[in-house]
Amino acid sequence: MKRIMFFMIFMLSNFITADSYANDKIQILTTTTDLKSIVEFIGGDKVKVDSICKGYQDPHFVEAMPSFMIKAKKADLFIRVGLELEIGYEELIINGSRNQKIRIGQLGHLDASEGVSLLEVPTTTKIDRSMGDVHPMGNPHYWLDPLNVKVIASNIANRLSEISPEDALYFKKNLSEFNKKMDEKLIEWRKRLVPFKGENIAVYHRSWPYFVNRFGLVASCELEPKPGIPPSSGHLKEVIDKITKEDIKVILMEVFYDEKPAKFVAEQSGAKVVVVPNSVGGTKEAKDYFSLMDIIVKRLTEALEQ
Amino acid sequence: MRRILIFLFVTFTFCPYLYAQEGLERNEEVKKLKEEMKQFQAQFEQKIDEMKTHYDEKINKMQAKIEQLEEEKAAVETKPYEVAQLPQTSLGRYFQSFNPDVSLIGDFIYHGTNKKDDEVYNQFKMRQAELAFSAPVDPYSRADFFMHIEPSGNEWKIGLCEGYLTLLDLPLDLQAKVGKFKANFGKVNRLHLHSLPWVDYPNMLTNFLGEEGMSNPGISVSTLIPNPWDQYVELTLEAFNNHNSTSFAGTEGRDMIYLTHLKNFFEINDESGLELGGSFATGPNDDGHGKNRTNLEGIDLTYKWRPLKEGLYKSLTFQNEALFNQKDQSDGSQIDSWGAYSSLEYQFAKRWSTFGRYDFSEFSDYSSRHDNAISTGLTFAQSEYCFWRLHVKHTDRDYNKDINEVWLQCNFGLGPHRAHEY
Repeated sequence: MKRIMFFMIFMLSNFITADSYANDKIQILTTTTDLKSIVEFIGGDKVKVDSICKGYQDPHFVEAMPSFMIKAKKADLFIRVGLELEIGYEELIINGSRNQKIRIGQLGHLDASEGVSLLEVPTTTKIDRSMGDVHPMGNPHYWLDPLNVKVIASNIANRLSEISPEDALYFKKNLSEFNKKMDEKLIEWRKRLVPFKGENIAVYHRSWPYFVNRFGLVASCELEPKPGIPPSSGHLKEVIDKITKEDIKVILMEVFYDEKPAKFVAEQSGAKVVVVPNSVGGTKEAKDYFSLMDIIVKRLTEALEQ
Repeated sequence: MRRILIFLFVTFTFCPYLYAQEGLERNEEVKKLKEEMKQFQAQFEQKIDEMKTHYDEKINKMQAKIEQLEEEKAAVETKPYEVAQLPQTSLGRYFQSFNPDVSLIGDFIYHGTNKKDDEVYNQFKMRQAELAFSAPVDPYSRADFFMHIEPSGNEWKIGLCEGYLTLLDLPLDLQAKVGKFKANFGKVNRLHLHSLPWVDYPNMLTNFLGEEGMSNPGISVSTLIPNPWDQYVELTLEAFNNHNSTSFAGTEGRDMIYLTHLKNFFEINDESGLELGGSFATGPNDDGHGKNRTNLEGIDLTYKWRPLKEGLYKSLTFQNEALFNQKDQSDGSQIDSWGAYSSLEYQFAKRWSTFGRYDFSEFSDYSSRHDNAISTGLTFAQSEYCFWRLHVKHTDRDYNKDINEVWLQCNFGLGPHRAHEY
């Protein structure tokens, strides 16, 4: 009996210790590593952040592993990209966590897309799956526009200040530093890409409209015939013709797509395949949002210069 | 006169030298001045460059700021305008958002078999249409309905496969389901036909729990058990009407079946996980109110692997279940029987996957009879919402002739599928 009592006290003490440790910082679970990177900048040492999706993973297709539910259970704040990017797993994870704080509409649930400038919002009254994997609320890859990231950072700072009002000044200061750095980097990225203003590029998936829009490039063709539909040989032939006709130099694609179709098109057309991370952690060098954009801009300009 | 001559001589003799001396000095001075001028010019140009860079940066900064402000302004200004400009779209979505998600999934098969008494012997069959509605009811709960429309001879019948309310906001991390739902026994019993990785259910399930498993009106309560290792451990307790006729009393039963399920999930790494589950169900198997009981124990083990980077193109699932049955008989004896299956599914391309399954199963009422079956198949996922599947199966029966079967299945869905569980 003594042994059982000892075991129970030991187990209970473990829970208490674990809980008190967890209460030191605001526990945050983000769906993507880009959001994690921004939260870490704004929240500094007041937050502990984890991300569901890895940077080298397709954020559209994430499985709701039960271990994510345990992470969500401990979260004070759940931050998502929104626009139905996480439709395949978000609800399962939140419901499975049984954490009332992070349900939609609660203080602990933040849709980072609030207030960002959206592109490709369908304007027709009817959209259907014949259009491929279209997002009825707009293209969700908006984090690839640095100015949208400033809006995300502002949303995060506001929400953190609501959760922890005593640290509001700290978050505000971090936000100000983040915006200052973003302004400086934006000038640097623009300078590198200005010579290629108006240049056509090819992309694999429709993930890049925000990026090309911000930096004056044009994504004039996609290797996927429709969003989410794998490239067919007939469509690739059309792409090759277009690339040749428009003298497109670059095929821009993410790290998690099959490179074979892009390499085939490159061989036939003379364009160069540029594989870049589109999220923080997509490659080892993409340690935070700024280095992520540094890599994209560097690799793209190097390829366009050739 | 002589003095004048000497003066003139001296003057003419030394003047060229003086002139030359003076010229050299001037040349040096000019050279020096030129160098100074060059230096001044270089300094001036440097200053100009610095100023140019400085002002360029300032101009760029100001341009960026202007664009940012313009965008922010545009974002603020266009929002109400967009709503006003696109009243149909926005209004449509506004109203739609109060409607439940509606899905309709069709399951069409061709079934070829040498089992001549099979009702779908070498026939096409629209096996099932599943109509699903789901939505939050209020801030505390959500509801899900799954209706099956199935052929019955030349007629069609519609039945409620599942229809339940899930209470999400209960204290102590509890969640509850009330209504008609698939019992949380093992892994495969909870799956609908369209979400199976094969065309048919494993023999173990049909021999012990019925053609489509155990689904009855009842109540289910589950909780996550805290543990110091932060592992996912879910305990479920269920009580439902004793309407299962395969192992329990069937529609005549007036007693309850009680069930408990423990689900453990171990994350091996970011790419793979192991699920270990245990189930126990007990209930009367006659109308004698518990005189004769059936006890069912189940164990399930599932390993899943999906590389994160190539996750669109590769994955593997190794799923195993075993079920043990102890059924009291009216003569006081007890039947001990069991069944199991083991399945390996491998996705080798974005749209293609293959599977193999081995079945062994006795029967709820016969421990002396058993099936041994081996299956293999190929799935082509046309898209996320439509797949084609070929399934070939050989069943070795020790109580009757062997069966060879082949299915060609086409499964297609409309509307937003509810996300599938891991």
